[in-house]
Amino acid sequence: MAEDNARRARPWPFRRLLRLAVRPPALEQDVDEELRFHLELSVERLVQSGMAPEAAREEALRRFGDVAHYRDTCVELSRRREREMGRALRWGALVQDVRYGVRGLLRTPGFTLVAVLTLALGIGANTAIFGVVRGVLLRELPYPEPERLVRLWQVAPENPKGAFSFPDFEDWRTGAQSLEAAGAWFYAEGRTGGDLVGDGEPQRLSIAYVTDGFFQALGRTPQLGRPLQAQDHVPGQADVLVLSHGLWQRRFGGSKDVVGSTVTLDGKPCTVVGVMPRGFDFPSPSAEAWLPVASLTQNRVPWQQRASRWLAGVGRLKPGVTLATARAELDGMARSLEAEHPDSNTRFSGATVVPLHESMVGEVKTSLLVLLGAVAFILLIACANLANLLLARGTVREQELAVRAALGASPGRLARQLLTESLLLALAGGLLGLGIAVLGSEGLVRLASGRLPRAGEVELDGSVLAFTLGLSALTGVLFGLLPALRAAAPSLQPLLKGASPGQGSGGGRRLRGGLVVAEVALAVMLASGAGLAARSLAHLLSTDMGFDAQGVAVVGFSIGSSHSEELTTYYQRVLEAVRAVPGVESVGAAKTLPGQSDVEMLRVAVPGKPEELVRANVLHISRDYFRTLHIPVKAGRDFTDDDRGGENARRVVVVNEAFVRRYGLEGDPVGQTLALGGPPVTIVGVVGDTRQAGPSEPAEPMLYLHALQNIRVGVNLLVRGRGDPLRVAADVQKAVWSVDSNQTITRITSLEQVMSEGVARPRLLAVLMGLFAALGLLLGAVGIYGVLAYTVSQRRREIGVRLALGATPGDVLRMVVGGGLRLVGVGLAVGLAGALMLARLMDSVLYGVRPHDPITFISVVVGLLGVALIASWLPARRATRVPPAVALRAE
Amino acid sequence: MGDTSLELLQGTLDVLMLKALSWGPQHGYGVAELIRMRSGEALKVEEGALYPALHRLERRGWLESEWGVSENNRRAKFYRLTGAGHAQLRASTEHWLAYADAVTRVLQSA
Repeated sequence: MAEDNARRARPWPFRRLLRLAVRPPALEQDVDEELRFHLELSVERLVQSGMAPEAAREEALRRFGDVAHYRDTCVELSRRREREMGRALRWGALVQDVRYGVRGLLRTPGFTLVAVLTLALGIGANTAIFGVVRGVLLRELPYPEPERLVRLWQVAPENPKGAFSFPDFEDWRTGAQSLEAAGAWFYAEGRTGGDLVGDGEPQRLSIAYVTDGFFQALGRTPQLGRPLQAQDHVPGQADVLVLSHGLWQRRFGGSKDVVGSTVTLDGKPCTVVGVMPRGFDFPSPSAEAWLPVASLTQNRVPWQQRASRWLAGVGRLKPGVTLATARAELDGMARSLEAEHPDSNTRFSGATVVPLHESMVGEVKTSLLVLLGAVAFILLIACANLANLLLARGTVREQELAVRAALGASPGRLARQLLTESLLLALAGGLLGLGIAVLGSEGLVRLASGRLPRAGEVELDGSVLAFTLGLSALTGVLFGLLPALRAAAPSLQPLLKGASPGQGSGGGRRLRGGLVVAEVALAVMLASGAGLAARSLAHLLSTDMGFDAQGVAVVGFSIGSSHSEELTTYYQRVLEAVRAVPGVESVGAAKTLPGQSDVEMLRVAVPGKPEELVRANVLHISRDYFRTLHIPVKAGRDFTDDDRGGENARRVVVVNEAFVRRYGLEGDPVGQTLALGGPPVTIVGVVGDTRQAGPSEPAEPMLYLHALQNIRVGVNLLVRGRGDPLRVAADVQKAVWSVDSNQTITRITSLEQVMSEGVARPRLLAVLMGLFAALGLLLGAVGIYGVLAYTVSQRRREIGVRLALGATPGDVLRMVVGGGLRLVGVGLAVGLAGALMLARLMDSVLYGVRPHDPITFISVVVGLLGVALIASWLPARRATRVPPAVALRAE
Repeated sequence: MGDTSLELLQGTLDVLMLKALSWGPQHGYGVAELIRMRSGEALKVEEGALYPALHRLERRGWLESEWGVSENNRRAKFYRLTGAGHAQLRASTEHWLAYADAVTRVLQSA
């Protein structure tokens, strides 16, 4: 026995497992031997009774019958029995392992609870993020052969992703050989639409205006009726529309008779020709109907002008055509258009072609992958932690395992049992984690508040479940394998002789130290990522926007077609009504809000330098816009009601300082004139710069036009009043309705809310990374604490001796804390190196902070050292309180 | 063995083997010999047929087998009745006796 144990003191634990798989000695031999024995004995007896040997052999065979037949039957029976027994044995072993595992885990409920919760958090976070990644990044777009779909832009001066004019796009669409089909659309969230009247309440529809080829390029056929076709796009035809599935259900009760019926849209009859299937949500989930571009009136959008660019394009490559081929062809077409139409197309000389999926998920992709990496790190930390806990537990159980090994349990069997325990823990954690994931992914989508593309595709389906299950199993193996391998090779002799466990396992201490180093390194990387994301968000939030959003209510609407004869009068009446609302201090109106991307743009030629064009955003505003948003008027004046439109009126414009700089105006800008096409306009005022496109973008040159001179149907009322902006907004809405009770309102909110939505993605990244980093730090701290506390408890006797020999508590404290900090130091160094490398991957999602931001990294190091200090000080303090006498007797 | 010997009824071989083994562990040849002798050489069975039957009974858990040394000092496989085998023997015996009794009564009543 002793020899046997010594021989297998450190065997490779898998050899035993392998041996099980090898075929057992042939059953045939056993059967043959059994039957041979019978025949030989039979012959022997017959010879004894006097028969001649030859005759005896014949008689024995006769009595026996068909030897070959019986032999085969016996072999078959034995084989079947062997298989059954093997199965029962393995099943029995598994049942036993599981039973032992459950019993062992229940015996230490504290450990089990901590382990399961840790795993649940790790696996839950991973599942939630994976669910989002799968929905947003991995799942194919819901169109046939989606890989052939591309997003198209025209290259404009200073902007590789410019919009198309209708004539330009039609030339591309009809001329391009590399495209099977292409279509363009005009859609702005909350702004492109029409008033639907008919049975029931009037309703503002979100409409996408599309060109011919739009439905053909996407390749989805309607559920009912037909898509828009070539004849629908001829100007002057009767208006037709295609409904979204959602609108069809809500407004028309899902009736099949709707195709062919006529509805009234903006006061005009319009025939429903088709209904799209559920899930068709291009270009936006909020699009409710699709109309031909031709149904737009020229005074709303000058859609037949080549210089008026407002369309977004999508195309389907012909089979086998590469992106590069398409790019080359469309580039060439842009250049020939430039040559043909120099007045409108100069410097619009290229095409940008990007796979549709990439164009939709673009920026979010990096954020999601960063988050996926972060949760993977958390799970790794959790694994390291659990491996440590199990190693410590394994040491405590060494004696139990040694006894079981001595009683005949093979090392493989012991390893298998420990692995079963780990897997049980992991599966329990995975189950709980699934619950966390369900809540988590809902919260995640909500936190993204509409800024997550394809959020509708996020769901926890079978593949996500499979991911969770696989992840749990992998996790269990990951953190269970090291302890299991060690347990499978216990050095039995000293333990059986009564030595205390945990002694002489220097390898174990090194292993645990290594795990702490890994944990700290991972936590450093997580914390660095979180720090960068947080600094980036802080930068965005603290950026001076150039205006004051606080306390401003927003009420958006689109002037209905019933007022098309008296647009400015109606506009004035609404503004007057709102100004009269009690509590309102100032009211301004603008076509678009800061942060909205669909702004109008003008390219103004600089005098004397015809090659140089200044790109300026154009905003149509009312008087008091600047006062309401606290935008300083630096020179000149705001618009007044006297700046009216009309035949002989003086055209006036207000510009911002960026425009003055870029345009190179010399002297006092006020009073100078600009040529914007048409009669010259006079600059009457200069205002401060605003970051119109959001905090991450620089202030652009702005041209403010007076809405009374250039009216637009899109209106956003900006109201500064006393009290809660949302309450003010509700009063404003009533005032609008007092002028026209049929006016549909597209949006009621506060400007702060609008700005907040603008930074939803950076905030999502910062909040989640912060959460994950906090979790990682906590787990890391628990890991450091656990290892040191364990070391201290193992070294009680030694510490007692030191104290007895005159060491001060300070010496002991330094010794323990020093030991902990040595590990932390190594972890910090490794982690910082990793973090500096990984930070570069985050570059594209950071604003105003460099990936190697020293403040972030210094704070991370300091913060982590602080956490590590506390985590190692707690067990160290306990060590100093060891009364020497007790410690000496402890064993 | 002549025409006077009885063909063994299907299914009765099992109970006879269980009975033979109830006197103690035995190898296959021994079981055959016991059955032949105890039946007064009246029952006729191909000896080879015993072996599939033994393996079958072992698979059902009524017998256990072990390699041992025979009376003539040879390696032989010995079969032994298990607890379940004993129970099965009791049940089969009762069943068989009741059956034989019923058949006998019918045949002798004429």
